[in-house]
Amino acid sequence: MTENYETLEERKSSFTPLLLAIGIALFFLGLVINFPLAMGGLAIVAFTLLKMFKDNVEEKFADFKESVEERWPLEFLKKEKLGVWVFLMSEILIFGSLIVAYVYVRLLSGSWPVASQIHDVTIGMVNTIILLTSSLAMVYGFHSVRLGNIKGLRIGLLATLALGASFLIIKLGVEWPTYYRNGFTISSGLPGSTYFVLTGLHAAHVAAGLVAVGYLLIRAFNGGFSSSKHSAVENIGLYWHFVDIVWMFLFPLFYLL
Amino acid sequence: MPGMKMYVGIWFGLVVATIMEVVTRSLPGAISVLALIILLISSGKAIVIAMYYQHLRYEDRRLAILPIAAVVGVIFLAAAAVMSMAMGM
Repeated sequence: MTENYETLEERKSSFTPLLLAIGIALFFLGLVINFPLAMGGLAIVAFTLLKMFKDNVEEKFADFKESVEERWPLEFLKKEKLGVWVFLMSEILIFGSLIVAYVYVRLLSGSWPVASQIHDVTIGMVNTIILLTSSLAMVYGFHSVRLGNIKGLRIGLLATLALGASFLIIKLGVEWPTYYRNGFTISSGLPGSTYFVLTGLHAAHVAAGLVAVGYLLIRAFNGGFSSSKHSAVENIGLYWHFVDIVWMFLFPLFYLL
Repeated sequence: MPGMKMYVGIWFGLVVATIMEVVTRSLPGAISVLALIILLISSGKAIVIAMYYQHLRYEDRRLAILPIAAVVGVIFLAAAAVMSMAMGM
């Protein structure tokens, strides 16, 4: 019992998760009722993320000791990695439910435009290959840092960043403006709404991933990683590959079928 | 964990599978059959990425409980959607 109390005394708590939740809530509330409120929420989110990155750089929560009963039945997992997987579980449910809703609406609709009439399959395929290659680059970075090859880590992260940015530029800078010129918009009907909601949410995830990869890159150039210290690379890599997995379903659903 | 050679091989396989999806769409045949084939290829790609790039294959097997539980949740949602369609709701 005494040991448990000592553990609690040693425990470092953080206000960042709560602040992040408040920031996100204000952002979405602001989008509906008041745009400046949304910007305020976004500022809180940005501040909180910076604080979280700073805490991580300083390893404020590293080597957190937990009793066995707190970790059961996943005691083989590190706390941070468990957090990432639980987060990915929630992401699977978010994207999964939206994809199911899309298929449901589409199957119940009397008519639905043929994919090739709206979408350019070649652009979709190129973007798919770009995203797959970015995953390979991320794997290369992770593989390199595990072997102590920091230069390889930097190259891998830089390539991931460039390829992820290319994906977004093609989507937001080439595809979407073309759709809007052709009258295919978020408010032009169910095909447009479902397309922009799902691919928009995915693009937002890619953008968030780019911020995270940018953070890894800064740390990689400041001696933040070594062969024995690279859990952040692994965890953000898990997220990046998840974003890739989601696109493996969005591409055929929107561009081929 | 595998070496870079294997990771590059997996990437090549994923790119080939993507091209196969595009080619499958242009084949003659019922759209429902083609859709099934394409979605099976997509699911295969997703599983390969999870197993190798997210290295689930090399983790403790109990870790798979987490993503599988979420996928089961999505399957329940899909089943609910199919049931409501069957009931004409």
